[in-house]
Order: sequence, then structure tokens, then C-alpha cells
Amino acid sequence: MSAYWLADGEARVLGPIGLGVVRDLALKGKLKDVRAVSKDGVNFVPLSEVPELLQALTSAPMKEDQARAQGKATEQIRTWLADIASRETHSVFKVNKDASLGAYRAAFFALVHRYVPSRLPADATPELRLACEDAFLILSGRMVDVERERRAASLVAPQAAMVPVTSLIPPSVAPMALGARTTTPVATPNTALGALSKVRWKGGMVYVRLSLPRGEARPLMGHPEFNWKNDSLVVTSDERVMVGTPAEITLSFEGHVTQLNTQGRVVAVAPQIRGGFAVRMLDMIEEQRSMIRTWVQRALT
Amino acid sequence: MALPGVLIVDDDQLMRVMLRDALSDVPCTILEADSGTTALKALEAGTPAVMLLDLVMPGLSGMELLTRVAKIAPEMAVLVLSSLDTESLVQQALDSGARGYLVKPFHPLDVQNLVRAALEGKSPRENSEP
Repeated sequence: MSAYWLADGEARVLGPIGLGVVRDLALKGKLKDVRAVSKDGVNFVPLSEVPELLQALTSAPMKEDQARAQGKATEQIRTWLADIASRETHSVFKVNKDASLGAYRAAFFALVHRYVPSRLPADATPELRLACEDAFLILSGRMVDVERERRAASLVAPQAAMVPVTSLIPPSVAPMALGARTTTPVATPNTALGALSKVRWKGGMVYVRLSLPRGEARPLMGHPEFNWKNDSLVVTSDERVMVGTPAEITLSFEGHVTQLNTQGRVVAVAPQIRGGFAVRMLDMIEEQRSMIRTWVQRALT
Repeated sequence: MALPGVLIVDDDQLMRVMLRDALSDVPCTILEADSGTTALKALEAGTPAVMLLDLVMPGLSGMELLTRVAKIAPEMAVLVLSSLDTESLVQQALDSGARGYLVKPFHPLDVQNLVRAALEGKSPRENSEP
């Protein structure tokens, strides 16, 4: 059986893998950026020179293949839901029974993002959509129960007890299904800070443009953990992003011509960051740090 | 007694930092390599108990490194961490010698559990959620 190596735009290599694996990955949309291919792992050529790979990667997935894959995914979700029905929440969330509320919340968000119905492809089957919605509602209900139990036990202050589970719920699901199950309002973004940030998605990357008026440094210093001291900032935004998402950051400072452009990664999201997400700027040079440090110091005086 | 070693092999610096953070509560010595070639050099100095391996890397790919270390350090537990999650690829990795396969994005507790199980000599499980 032939083996293939695939290289992406950053010359990162996957292989050796067989044509069947390539087809499976392509079917799941996992091979979007194949730039060069090889049959020996040494000599790479353009994709167009290996017809069988070109066909596997560029052919539109057959409808029946898609339907089969989605049917399988639906079945797996249903089986898993049946399995967890009799399990305790800590076991489902993979935390210790007496874990902190924060640990439960972190585990909940890590688990539930897989089932957010709005993340499904537009042509997802109704069965898969329904299974995801069920999983979402069941997990959310479990989290709400944990919150209530902890609040009843007075282990946490009532105001801090509820996690805004509805913040992840798409409008099509949230109002009727979960609105009655939680009484705490969803955290609302600080609109004053939100006006400073522009966030948009492109090609799997989030682009953040932050324009700081004179004397404004809250995005850089408002969070105890994610702040300028460790090359991080908090972006106020309604955009739903995931930890690890690559980010392109542009910081502009009123009165300064020079902008700060850098690459980064999303390092924290809700509930850790209310009304937005935190980004860590990577490969910062001392000159950029100095620019930020000066700006923060001036804002404080 | 020296702590067991865990070698993180990933070209993504942030991923290495996140893995290091995730393992902060696990009693082990963490080593890092940003490529397959660097990992092979690190192995010349000694074999860690566990390797956390990314599959897609510049130069020597994760799958190639997996095949090599299965021969030169079969006692080391290799746990693959990848966003590529088709059954066929997972099966290939397990057939090539991986002891576990965790799909990115993952929860830090899943990494902890996998590494703890590997250090204790248990067979780590794959993600059980669909």
C-alpha cells in the first residue's frame, strides 16, 4: 500500500499515511492547507503532481459518505448519553467528587463545546443536530444542578455561584430550553470596553484590533492573571473563541503613530474571562513591551 | 529517587507551555522538544517514561518519530496529542506503538489522567466522549 506525506503552509508534515486515512481526514475537513506532498518523506512535490491525492483532497465528499459519517457521530453521541445517564456528574466531567466549583466549570466548558449546535456544519442531519442539542442540554442541566447543590451547601457566595451556562447556548436553543433552569443573568460585556475592540474571524484565526484612547489601559491591566506583565490582554467581545485559537493582534495607542502588531493565542475564555477572552502575545520584543509598559504607567498617573 | 521524565514533543511553543501547566501537579520532570529531530537527540541522553507527541511537525513528522521510538525505546509510553481525529489515523498511531491518543483541544485533566496512568503503567484510554 502506498504511503504519503503531506506538508502544510508552515512546512509541517503529516505522514506516512495511507490513501484511506487521507480520504477520512479530508472527509472530516481536517486537511485544508496541503501545499506539498511526498511518497518518500524526502522529496516533496506540488499536490497537483500526485493525482490520487489531488482527487482525495479536492473531491467534494459524496453525500452518502457525509450521511454515513454523521449517522455514526449521532449514534456515538446517543450511546454516550445513554452511558452517562446513570453516572454521577463528577464522573461525567472527569473531576473529583469534591472538586472546586471552578474545576467543575472548567470541565463542563471543555466538554460542552463539542456539542454546541451552532458549531455543526450547515448540512448536518436533523438527527445529529438533535443529538447535539440533547447533549448540550443534559450537560448544562448537570452543571446547573452542581451550582445549585453548592449554593445550597453555602460553599460559595450566591452571587458567584452561578456559571453563565446560557452564554454558550445558541439563540435557537436557549430561551425556552434553559431559560427556566437558571435564574442568574448572563454576564454582559462591558460595552465601554467592547467599543475599543474589533474582532473578526478569518481562516481559523481571530483578528483583534484594539484601539486605546489616551489614559485607557484596562484591557492590559484589568485582569489579575492575564495582563501586560505576562504579555497578555483581555478582549471584550461577544465572539465565541476557543482556547488555543491563533490570533493576530493590532494595538493602537491614541496620539502614537506606531502600532503594535504581533501574533498570539487565545489563552482563556468564559467563564474565566467574563464578556470576552484573553490573548497572550507571542514573540514580543523588548521595544514592544516597553511601549506597553510606558502606556500603562501613563494611564496610572 | 529521581522523578520520571515526560518529554513533550510539539513545534507549537504555546502548546508546550499549556502541557507543562497541565502537568504541574504530576510528579515528573518535564522535558521539551520542538521537533522530531530534537526529540531524538534528547532520547540519546536518556529515555523518559512518557512522551507526549504531536503528529504534525516540520521535518521529522510525529508518525515517523513514533515508529522510530517504538524500536529504540519500546519501554517508553508514547501518547499522541492531535487535532486529527479520524478512526483510521488513531488506529494507525496505536498500531505504530502509541499507548494513547488524545484529541485537541483537550482538557488539562485529560492530559493529567493519561500521563498519570502511563506513569503507573496502566494502559491509558482514549477519549471516551464521542
